[in-house]
Amino acid sequence: MNFRGTMIGAAAGLFVFYFGLLLSLFFFFGAREFWEVLTHPSTLFSIRLSLLAATLATFFAVAIGLPAAYALSRFEFPGKRLLDTFLEIPMIISPIALGATLLVFFNTPLGAIIQRKGIYFVFEVPGIILAQFATIAGLTTRLMKTSLDEISPRYESVARSLGLSAWQAFYKVTLPLSLKGLIASVILSWAKAVGEFGATVTLAGAMPGKTETLPVAIFMALGSANVNKAIVLILILALLGLFTLYVVRLTGKRYRYD
Amino acid sequence: MIRIEGLTIHFDTFKITDLHIRIEEGEFHFLLGPTGSGKTLILESIMGLRKPKKGKISIGEREIQDLSPERREISYVPQDLALFPHLRVKDNILFGIRARHLDMQKYRDHVDALIEVTRLGPLLERYPASLSGGEKKRVALLRALAPRPKLLLLDEPLSGLDPSMKAEIQQLLKTLQSSFHPTTLCVTHDFEEAYFLGDEITICIDGKVEQSGRRDEVFLKPRSRKVAHFLGAKNVYRARVLKKGDVAGHSILGVNGLQFSIPLSLCPASLQVGQEVDLFIRPEEVMIIREGKPVKDSLRHNLLKGRIRDIVDRGRYHLIYFETIEGKIPFEISIPNYAFRNLDLSRGKVVRAALREESLWLMF
Repeated sequence: MNFRGTMIGAAAGLFVFYFGLLLSLFFFFGAREFWEVLTHPSTLFSIRLSLLAATLATFFAVAIGLPAAYALSRFEFPGKRLLDTFLEIPMIISPIALGATLLVFFNTPLGAIIQRKGIYFVFEVPGIILAQFATIAGLTTRLMKTSLDEISPRYESVARSLGLSAWQAFYKVTLPLSLKGLIASVILSWAKAVGEFGATVTLAGAMPGKTETLPVAIFMALGSANVNKAIVLILILALLGLFTLYVVRLTGKRYRYD
Repeated sequence: MIRIEGLTIHFDTFKITDLHIRIEEGEFHFLLGPTGSGKTLILESIMGLRKPKKGKISIGEREIQDLSPERREISYVPQDLALFPHLRVKDNILFGIRARHLDMQKYRDHVDALIEVTRLGPLLERYPASLSGGEKKRVALLRALAPRPKLLLLDEPLSGLDPSMKAEIQQLLKTLQSSFHPTTLCVTHDFEEAYFLGDEITICIDGKVEQSGRRDEVFLKPRSRKVAHFLGAKNVYRARVLKKGDVAGHSILGVNGLQFSIPLSLCPASLQVGQEVDLFIRPEEVMIIREGKPVKDSLRHNLLKGRIRDIVDRGRYHLIYFETIEGKIPFEISIPNYAFRNLDLSRGKVVRAALREESLWLMF
């Protein structure tokens, strides 16, 4: 086989693999059951909870991740390398380990005080948000840093020489220039938060009608041998994911910048 | 007047020590130095983007070294221009006026005049991505000049342009200078650029100012071998002082047994007989004498007989590699094309060359 054929063959193979997996879901699929499961209050609850939790987790991840990404992209400071390495933590330790770490933390004196005087996280909805935040914050920061790296700091230099403060230059020049990349980062982070399972189930538990996000619901449906429900939920998750990726593709179309 | 005093910058491997530059109002000042000598660092320090280790910068009576960049009123045109790609040409140009909340009415005439000179009128609604390289340069210059900065900083403004574009931008810079008199500091490694545009030139090599002064002063009279070398000086020789000041007011220098006469006015008082100095002769100051033509009086003092080793056509001029019969001293002589055509030169031919006494220059 020639070179080009081999390479494209590998790519096609991957597509067949993933697409085949999705297709196999339809072996047990029935349109009536689909509608039934989709409109069932518990499913709607899971969808609502997942969207809400992921949106909040992403909001917090961006709120801290954007300035952090800017710092990593533009400034030299002590501990920069260390910080950069730590952003990988959620990616290298398994989500369950991350959730377990959070669980352990809330049993330390400090964690206990936070729960008593502040918000309850363990086995509560805020726990879902925290678990998702912990999983995506590093990734969000990384992705946004990459977007900011693409914008030459020279733009800000010129903007400042023309009379803008550092804050204004960020807001009026760097932010609009990197906006598409930043939006794509946010969407990808959000999609990852929606699909988060390990950390969520460990910290917030799997309580029907309370902390049952879409992935948790899939897990529980399988646990109770409700294959139909699991399939419907998987399809919902897959559609949600494909939709977000499509949106990212749209934002990926850049302006004709030089 | 802009005064930069004792500017010292340490960054990575770059060290710039005790830099002094004075720029009169309306002057086009060049900071000339080899590539990679930290010139951009100097600009960034003047602008306030980088904190120098030491040094004072003042505009008029006002010291600005502790002000943040936006309060210095110094405009900057970086090498890559950094036109704001998300803004139309018009909005790029007005950026500084708007950022400082200046009264647009007061600047209208000034901006209109700039647009007129840079011929950007038809492009105001376009985005930078659709402009040519030369158009982008024009927009960047206009954007920098629109808010009437106290100082304009240019970083290698003519780099990356093809020759015709380069000539165009060079001319534009000259026009802008003569019509709007911005006080300008321009860094470059290209001494031809500096020669064409500069009033004053500061030469900075290895992080130190080697020489500073009027343009011709620096080009014709480099203070050291280092400067001469950087300026691309070709004919630099080690010479010994043989005689200091004869009756007619000449000093005699010896190079390899060959003697050169130089007027006493070009020799410093401290010059001693027997001392070694560097003698610099500009290639365009050497004349090849046409066969059978009488030699002018002013050229009689330094008349050299030699052989043509090679001839190179450099397009706008010819470069003659000449070697004296006595002393075998190699010379590079550049002669304009029209003169070359009249001379009937060929390789191996023996000719006479002469130079005016005043075109000799000594360095210590």
